[in-house]
Amino acid sequence: MRKYWLVIKDTWDEILTYRLSFIVWRIRTVFQLLTVYFLWLVLIPQGSQLFGYTQSLMLTYILGTAFLSSVILATRSYEMGENINNGDLSIFLIRPINYFYYWFARDIGDKAMNISFAVIELSILVVILKPPLFFQHDMMILFLTAISITFSIIMHFLFGSLLGMIGFWSPDVWAPRFIFFIIINFFAGMLFPIDILPKAVATFFQFTPFPYLLYFPIKIYLGQLNSSHIYVGILTTILWTILLSVFLKMVWLRGLRFYTAQGH
Amino acid sequence: MRRYLRIWWLLTSAASQIAFQSRFGAVIFLIGKILRFGLFLVFIFIITGRTKEIAEYSVWQIVFFFATFNLIDALPMFFLREVYRFRIYIVKGTFDYILAMPISPLFRALLGGSDILDLTILLLALFLVGISFFHIGPIPMENVILYIILICNAMVMALSFHIFVLGMGILTTTVDNAIMLYRDLTQMGRVPIDVYREPFRAIFTFVIPIGIMMTFPAKALMGILSLQFIFISLVTGILLFGVSVWFWRFALKRYASASS
Repeated sequence: MRKYWLVIKDTWDEILTYRLSFIVWRIRTVFQLLTVYFLWLVLIPQGSQLFGYTQSLMLTYILGTAFLSSVILATRSYEMGENINNGDLSIFLIRPINYFYYWFARDIGDKAMNISFAVIELSILVVILKPPLFFQHDMMILFLTAISITFSIIMHFLFGSLLGMIGFWSPDVWAPRFIFFIIINFFAGMLFPIDILPKAVATFFQFTPFPYLLYFPIKIYLGQLNSSHIYVGILTTILWTILLSVFLKMVWLRGLRFYTAQGH
Repeated sequence: MRRYLRIWWLLTSAASQIAFQSRFGAVIFLIGKILRFGLFLVFIFIITGRTKEIAEYSVWQIVFFFATFNLIDALPMFFLREVYRFRIYIVKGTFDYILAMPISPLFRALLGGSDILDLTILLLALFLVGISFFHIGPIPMENVILYIILICNAMVMALSFHIFVLGMGILTTTVDNAIMLYRDLTQMGRVPIDVYREPFRAIFTFVIPIGIMMTFPAKALMGILSLQFIFISLVTGILLFGVSVWFWRFALKRYASASS
């Protein structure tokens, strides 16, 4: 366990070494957030409703997804593909360390730094913009939100790892990640809640894993889902997590058979 | 001029061949770009399907703003892609070789290989500009001329930002952060600047002139931009270009060729 703690610490220190890049990255996320925030602020004036959302609920949704992005989507697994491509994987294969635990520890280090910055940025934005936020007080709902977030973190890591596995077969590890990011942007609920889509489309996406990354946890927090929806949603997330981990194991074993340590 | 056109053509042909070296990557990137373009458009239609307008603009006006944004965004992306590769030239010392060439180093650093993949978005944006233009209603010819002038002005501003990035690249050897920051700032122009509340609106218009670049041309076409703002736009464009060229020369004199 200690070795993975050291990986978390190393990742944190690594970010601090290249702090200008990280700060610029955080500034960029704030700019992205501002566009979505002001767009919804214009669309839902105070006292009115749109798609079943009051201004308070929608702005909480938008700021909530911005925070959850740091918790769930912050990752280092994008380096996995390059790691395989340039042959650095060989070093891991002879070390007494689990390759996936190592990258998950890197993810935690990265998330810790992103969360720290997100808390500061969002606090500043809340002070400046004074949005009418919604605060959930029901402890059970908060607990279920936390469970959903935990599985979303694991699921996103599995997605990141699967995309990294492309490195076994192709040097183009960035292009699929680019598409994945666009899908997340639209279908995980970063730009808008999925339930504003036409009913048939929204229902279709409930069967895919994407809404469970951001949309579902924040919907639980907002108290807009009844208990049966919450339990079915959490079960679906768990099911997807199991499916993705089985698939990842298969791809990993196949990839290892294909791996030639090219680059070393 | 013809010599430079020929050089641009040769470099762009070479860059295109590199882009299609891996067809898998090229196709995936292309699909991604089209998907992003299309999904945001769908998002606009879903919202306006319910609200009928955004910030007092009709559906097609909002689509026109979005199409204009894509046009202004895609043109520099297509022509000035070489700027994204500039850091490598500085870090590896390849820039020395560029300096020794009998062509302008600024031209080579800016236009040394256009990105063929961005041509798709450029064409899509032009198509959407055309469609939304006809849906907005009858537009006087002078507004169309003003629109074209302000699009050119936006191009000059985009060019100036890229020259600034190159200058910073020489002085600090970092390019990626500045160019990505520029990309994200301009992305704020996907929606008309009127969406932002004060003081953000003033900041995004006059301090970081996204509004002037992305929103003003479309507003001029719709006939809702005052003469005063048109004048401010043109002066800002000329000033930015002048200062960026000055900054490039300033940076070039300090190029230490440390990596070679």
